[in-house]
Amino acid sequence: MSHEIFMPALSSTMTEGKIVEWLKNPGDKVERGESVLVVESDKADMDVESFQDGFLAAVLMPAGSTAPVGETIGLIVENEDEIASVQEQNKGNHQPEVSSADQLELVSNKTEEKPVAQNQIVEKQEKEVVSKSEKAAPSFNSDQINAATSNVSSRVIASPRAKKLASQMGVDLAKVHGSGPHGRIQADDILKANGQPVSIPWIGEGGSTASIPGVNLGVESKPETSGNSFGNPGETVQFNTLQKAVNKNMESSLDVPCFRVGYSINTDKLDNFYKKVKQNGVTMTALLVKAVAKTLKKHPQVNSSFSENGISYPEDINIAVAVAMEDGGLITPVLKEPCNTDLFELSREWKDLVKRSRSKQLEPDEYSTGTFTLSNLGMFGVDRFDAILPPGTGAILAIASSKPTVVANSDGSISVKKIMQVNLTADHRVIYGADGASFLKDLASLIENEPETLVS
Amino acid sequence: MVNRTAIIKQPDNISFFNDVYKLQKEYQEALIVDNSNPDFIWIGEHQLCYTLGRGSNYDNLLFSLNDDNYDVFKIDRGGEVTCHMPGQLVTYLVLDLKNFNKDLNWYLRKIEEIIIKILGTFNIDCHSKEGFTGVWIGNKKIASIGIGCKRWITINGFSINIDCELENFNKIIPCGIENCLMANMIDYNKNLNIQEVKRIVKKIIQEEFNFDFVSK
Repeated sequence: MSHEIFMPALSSTMTEGKIVEWLKNPGDKVERGESVLVVESDKADMDVESFQDGFLAAVLMPAGSTAPVGETIGLIVENEDEIASVQEQNKGNHQPEVSSADQLELVSNKTEEKPVAQNQIVEKQEKEVVSKSEKAAPSFNSDQINAATSNVSSRVIASPRAKKLASQMGVDLAKVHGSGPHGRIQADDILKANGQPVSIPWIGEGGSTASIPGVNLGVESKPETSGNSFGNPGETVQFNTLQKAVNKNMESSLDVPCFRVGYSINTDKLDNFYKKVKQNGVTMTALLVKAVAKTLKKHPQVNSSFSENGISYPEDINIAVAVAMEDGGLITPVLKEPCNTDLFELSREWKDLVKRSRSKQLEPDEYSTGTFTLSNLGMFGVDRFDAILPPGTGAILAIASSKPTVVANSDGSISVKKIMQVNLTADHRVIYGADGASFLKDLASLIENEPETLVS
Repeated sequence: MVNRTAIIKQPDNISFFNDVYKLQKEYQEALIVDNSNPDFIWIGEHQLCYTLGRGSNYDNLLFSLNDDNYDVFKIDRGGEVTCHMPGQLVTYLVLDLKNFNKDLNWYLRKIEEIIIKILGTFNIDCHSKEGFTGVWIGNKKIASIGIGCKRWITINGFSINIDCELENFNKIIPCGIENCLMANMIDYNKNLNIQEVKRIVKKIIQEEFNFDFVSK
C-alpha cells in the first residue's frame, strides 16, 4: 500500500511551495523521520520527512516545480516489491499535472539558456531560472521520472497574455519563473523579468494623478499588451462565480433611478503632496479614499442609501474600492472608517487588502461593508467614465486620469494645470443633484487647496 | 509566553563557518530528539566565505567553484547566495518554532522586525520590502535572512553588515537580485562598533523571544 507525501504548509499564508530538492531517489529506502525532500517558501526552507519506514516509490513533482499546499508530490510504499506497480500506476500522471488545457506549452530555446542567464535576469530573488534540468536530472534514476523531469524543464507553461507580452518585450520565457499555479508564467512575471514594475491596472491602484499616464504606461502599446480575454475566438466561456455575482449586482442597478454629475479637479497640489509622502508608503488610492471619506463626513446624505423604510444613514463611513480580478470579475475591498485612520496606516491596510484580494483571501466583511464606492481607471489614462451603482449603496465615484490641461483662470490668464475628472453616480431617491454637486465642490476644494490635511 | 532557556554563544574571535554550522546542526538534532533541550543562539563573525541555499542558482556566483581562493558552502537554508566576512555580524537561531508559531512566514517577518529594532536602537531608519525578504535602507540592503527548518526547528538566521568590505559582494549576485546595492551600518551612524551592536542583538532577541540566556 502506498502513502502520499503532501506539499506541506510552511505558513498560514502559503498557498503553494517550491520543491527545492529531492533528498531521496525513487527506489531509495526511507526511514520514519528521515528527510525526503526540501520545500522552499520565500527565504525559508523546510525538510519534509517520511512518516513511515518504506521506500520512495515515485516522485510526482520534480525538483524545481511548484505545487499547491496539500497536493500529493510523492509516494512512499512499505515494501520494495510495490515500487514497480506504483510507478506503473502513476506513469502519465506528470503530463496532465503541468499541461492542462488552458496552459500553453512552448519549447524553450535551449541553445541560449546558460550564458545569457546572468545578465538578463533582473529580479530573481526566489525567482529561479527555469533551466533546472542540470540540478533536477541527476537526482532521479528511474527512466520514467527522468523523462518527466526533462519534459518539464524544456517546456514553459505561460498564460496567453504572458506569452504575448513576452514576445512584445523580447523576454525569453525560459528564463522567467512563473508565479501561477504549477509555476505557470503570468503577465506580471514577464513585467518583472523585464525589469518593469508590475503595473497593477487590475487593482485600481497606481499613479492616477501623480504620474503622467501617457509616459509611464506607454499608451500606444497598452491596448495591445493588456487586453483581457477569458476565452479563445469562436468560444463561449461560462461566467465564473465572481463574474456571475458582478452581473447580478450590476443588473440590480437597472431598478435604481440614477443620475450623474461630474467635476474637474486640479491635482497640482495633491500630486506634489503625493510625491512627498509616497516614499513613506502612501498610495494614491489611500489619498483619494481619505479625501472622499473626509468630504462624506460633511455630506452624510451622499453616504446614505435607499431602503424600503426610507433613507438609511449608516453608522460608519466605509469606502469600497473596485479591484478587477485578473481571471475575471471584480471585488470591492473596503477601507473602514478612513476618517479615523491615519494616511500611512490606511495605505498599509490598502496594500494588504489588495494582496489578499488577489489571492482571494478576503473575509465577506472586508468586501461587502462599503457605504460608498470608488472606481479608479486613472492609470489607463482615460479622461472620463461613469460607474454603475453597486446595490445597497447610494453613490459611486468614477475617477479618471489627471492630465496636463490648458485652463483659463478667473483673472483671464491661461495656464497648464493637471486636471482630473471625477463623475458621481447616485441614487436619486436619496441623493439629489444639489447634494452630489455640493459634495463634489467640497471634495475638489479639499484636494485642490489642502491635500496636506489628508495625513490624519 | 513562558520563558525558554537558550544557550547563547558569542565568541569575540572570527569563527570558521563550518565549525559554527556543525554546532548549529548539533543543537538542531538535539532538539529534534528531545524538545526539552535548550534553543541555541550564536552571534559572531566569520572569515570571508560564500554560502548557498539548497535551492540556490549557481549562476549567481561570479567566480568558478573550482577557484580555491573562495570558500563556498552549500547549507540548509532558503534563498540565494550570500557572503560573510569580518565586520558583518551573523546571528544564528536554532529555535523550536513549536513553542512560538509554526509559521515560517511569521518567523521571517519576525526576524525582519527584530533587525529593524536593532538598527532603530542606533537611530538608523530601515524597512522591509515586500517580496524581498531582508532589511533595506532605501534601495540598499543592510541585512540578509536565510532560514532552514526541520520539524519546526530552525537553523541559520540573519547577517547585518556593520563595517565590512562590501566589495566582496561584487563576486556574487547577492540573493539573486541583479544590481543589488549593499550598505554598512557604519555609513549611517559613525559612532557604533560591532561589540555594541552585538550587545543590542542579544538584548532584542532576548526580549522578542522571552529567553533566559545561559552563556556558553
